[in-house]
Amino acid sequence: MVRLVISWIPFLILQSFLVAIASESIEVEEFSEALLLKPLPDRKVLAHFHFENRAPPSNSHGRHHHLFPKAISQLVEKFRVKEMELSFTQGRWNHEHWGGFDPLSSMNPKPVGVELWAVFDVPHSQVDTSWKNLTHALSGLFCASINFLESSTSYAAPTWGFGPNSEKLRYGSLPREAVCTENLTPWLKLLPCRDKDGISALMNRPSVYRGFYHSQRLRLSRVESGQEGLGSGTVLEQTLTVVLQPETISAGTDMQPSWFLSSLFGRKVVGRCVLAKSSNVYVQLEGLSGHELKKLDPEREAWKNAEFELSIKPERILPETSSFLFVYDIEKYSDSEPFDLGLTWKLPSKWASQQAPLHASRFLMGSGNERGAIAILLKATESQEKLSGRDFTDGRCTVKVNIFQIFPWYVKVYYHTLQIFVDKQQKTGNEVVKKIDVSPSTDKMSSGMMEMMLELPCEVKSVAMSIEYDKGFLHIDEYPPDANQGFDIPSALISFPDHHASLDFKEEVSKSPILSKLKEKSLVRSYTEVLLVPLTTPDFSMPYNVITITCTVFALYFGSLLNVLRRRVGEEERFLKSQGKKKGGLKQLLSRLIAKIRGRPIEAPATTNESPEARSSVFSSKLVFKIILVAGAAAAWQYFSTDK
Amino acid sequence: MKILILVMLLCYSFASSSGDTTIHTNNWAVLVCTSRFWFNYRHMANTLSLYRTVKRLGIPDERIILMLADDMACNARNEYPAQVFNNENHKLNLYGDNVEVDYRGYEVTVENFLRVLTGRHENAVPRSKRLLSDEGSHILLYMTGHGGDEFLKFQDAEELQSHDLADAVKQMKEKRRFKELMIMVDTCQAATLFNQLQSPGVLAIGSSLKGENSYSHHLDSDIGVSVVDRFTYYTLAFFERLNIYDNASLSSLFRSYDPRQLMSTAYYRTDLYQPNLMEVPVTNFFGSVMETIHTDSAYKAFSSNTSKINSDMPLNQLSDQDLQNADIPNDELNTEKQKCPYTQMRADLHEKLEKLENVDTVVNLSIAVMVLVVIVSSSVI
Repeated sequence: MVRLVISWIPFLILQSFLVAIASESIEVEEFSEALLLKPLPDRKVLAHFHFENRAPPSNSHGRHHHLFPKAISQLVEKFRVKEMELSFTQGRWNHEHWGGFDPLSSMNPKPVGVELWAVFDVPHSQVDTSWKNLTHALSGLFCASINFLESSTSYAAPTWGFGPNSEKLRYGSLPREAVCTENLTPWLKLLPCRDKDGISALMNRPSVYRGFYHSQRLRLSRVESGQEGLGSGTVLEQTLTVVLQPETISAGTDMQPSWFLSSLFGRKVVGRCVLAKSSNVYVQLEGLSGHELKKLDPEREAWKNAEFELSIKPERILPETSSFLFVYDIEKYSDSEPFDLGLTWKLPSKWASQQAPLHASRFLMGSGNERGAIAILLKATESQEKLSGRDFTDGRCTVKVNIFQIFPWYVKVYYHTLQIFVDKQQKTGNEVVKKIDVSPSTDKMSSGMMEMMLELPCEVKSVAMSIEYDKGFLHIDEYPPDANQGFDIPSALISFPDHHASLDFKEEVSKSPILSKLKEKSLVRSYTEVLLVPLTTPDFSMPYNVITITCTVFALYFGSLLNVLRRRVGEEERFLKSQGKKKGGLKQLLSRLIAKIRGRPIEAPATTNESPEARSSVFSSKLVFKIILVAGAAAAWQYFSTDK
Repeated sequence: MKILILVMLLCYSFASSSGDTTIHTNNWAVLVCTSRFWFNYRHMANTLSLYRTVKRLGIPDERIILMLADDMACNARNEYPAQVFNNENHKLNLYGDNVEVDYRGYEVTVENFLRVLTGRHENAVPRSKRLLSDEGSHILLYMTGHGGDEFLKFQDAEELQSHDLADAVKQMKEKRRFKELMIMVDTCQAATLFNQLQSPGVLAIGSSLKGENSYSHHLDSDIGVSVVDRFTYYTLAFFERLNIYDNASLSSLFRSYDPRQLMSTAYYRTDLYQPNLMEVPVTNFFGSVMETIHTDSAYKAFSSNTSKINSDMPLNQLSDQDLQNADIPNDELNTEKQKCPYTQMRADLHEKLEKLENVDTVVNLSIAVMVLVVIVSSSVI
């Protein structure tokens, strides 16, 4: 019996090991990196870096992380963040040329400056406090003034117009915020390999910031485990989208520019980040005539044909409905053999990217410093016909459009002035507006918000909306140092709730996070321009000038008044006359005047000591003469002083 | 092994009048650029140059509070995105890959500046934005921008008065937030900013005397604006020769300023600072160098801090006779009047007023002129 037990022991040990390994494999943290390169129709190149860091659910408190950044996990724990997205953007996404209906252009374009939204997992009363603390923490973490979002005038609580439906959602944006190296560096520090190794080593700051558009994004979401007693996991998704202009030498204007990674970024990939589970580079080529490519042998000619050539043979080629994805695994590259992918165009190539059903733009109307109007113009794009996602209600084909807009309090919007023109014909609210929620602003307390859902006929060509506003007055302390530049109205968000963008791969793809992200159906949305409203700005030196001038006027007035009231000229004259007879007054006076003209007042006291009597005799008769002399002296002094 | 090496600081608190000794614990730097707008590029370059220097000499990022009032590196006017240069040779990118800006843009206000100094923040403010110094800290406070007689402008909208600065420093002293504080200011009439300082342990250095301007050093025609100020340029020239192990003394730094090159007279206020400047190495403020003391047992060092270590600090054996406050003769300077026009105008006016010995005369004359004008105007009407 004992023997039997002993012989079982190794089995038991082995089993416990296996269990441990199995449980560990569930709980292990994962990091993956990917880069998607995509030539754009207007001779530019889009580079989209995608890093994903997953911390699985775990029940141990204060646990240590292997890969997941501690700063973020502490943030999530402390402020009970359920979901959060922070983006830093400069430049404006060109929807016409760079696309508006694919996952990349519906997820990544962000309004200029900083945008932050977060959903909290706290009681209602604490949401605002959590938001405030979160903005401060993020501002310290990312070296930006995100803490300006703490004031109630700068954020809003959208209910349904923004996207995630939650009552505990807060949204704010800072259009004026600068985005630079100091924001990218802490973002990179969240990656396990930072920018030292792997794909992130490509991020050469000058080349990233020289681009036409760069948007750096961080998205957090909590994953509930579902199991009892097990906490929740966190997924951290970091993306950087850059649109770069390759330096070309090719003469032809209709030729697409050829590029290498080293010419785009000034660096090469010298190997993967060893901590990453997967590190891939993808090249997406859009608009290739599909049937043409189908004829080609995918193994040999798809990446090297008459039209273009990739410098390295891809591992795999993933066909999609309208594009091809070439997959590279950079595992096998090293210092001695760096990965420097290039794309060479041989023939002029032209294609157009997919468009959202309507193209949105926003502008200001009116003039002057008192009132104005904001107009949003939606124009149908060519691709409207083909799009799916139409809603056939009552036998009518309709397109739904959500508009979400925040107004700062100093732009006092009159919601009753909302006018909607569909195909240049004015419509009443009931005809096109399906749903509208408005929360008016309170002066210096909260910003205004408008959420609106339009239901438009499918064949619509253009929709114009205008809403009037009055400009408010700020307190003199509230003006920023560069008030004359104007004030920003944050971007409006236009989304199409019935339209979803996704890449539809024909074959089953591997579990690469970036591919599953692209496969996922995402809401088609676009941000409009930021508007710059000039407000009445005072002349900030005016108070000083007013004080100076007023004081001068008052001094002159009261001085002369006192003189008139208090001075007894007759008595003085009599007194002076009686004394002046004793001495030669005229002579004294003249010498005093001469001294004055010469500008030697030292002599003056000596003379004036004796002169009270002297003044008397001639005071009345010579008064005019004296004034003229004095004026002459003053003029002379003025002349000399200005001359120098 | 009985001999343990303890890395620790050994300094005396000359500051506190009671004579209690605190050891030097750490180094902090607060670097402030107060000017907004592109044409003030040089002020940001000044601040970033100092940032680079103190980082190079050993102060870590978490102990540097960097305040930049505008974004120059990624400014649309900058031809070199994400780069800032302080020299037209463009050899050194000050805005490398690892800049941590703690306060930027609209956050750089007098209020926030005073909050940083005095440590009176809201609870939510993160640690990276706070000056968490203690009674053994050496703090370097560097400020640059446009200023005048007893004030420094912040973002062209606010002013920091010399009284504000002195009050903040006084409060810091009372709250034991520093042991030694060095204030370095590069602005027009910088010396006037120190007039109200009273707290012990404060060493102040300004780029110019009252009535003097601080000029920029040179213009970079690629960037299109001046890239560095003279005072900072020569400060950097001094520090570029140093590394963390150098023992150059503060007096050698102060002596390195040549009024002919600066086109202004650097001013040092040393009366509040007791140690002999000859013996204080510049790394006391501009770096983070801890002294190493060999002790026989682990915890003896604390008790032995009454015996002063004979350090081999003062290497530059130059006399400090010429280190008299502001006595350096201001040689014939060909100062082109390009900077600080306001102060220049005021100085001119002041000069003219000085020429008139008797103010009464002026008043009489001007009243007479006014009367004349009134008579003439009334007769015309």
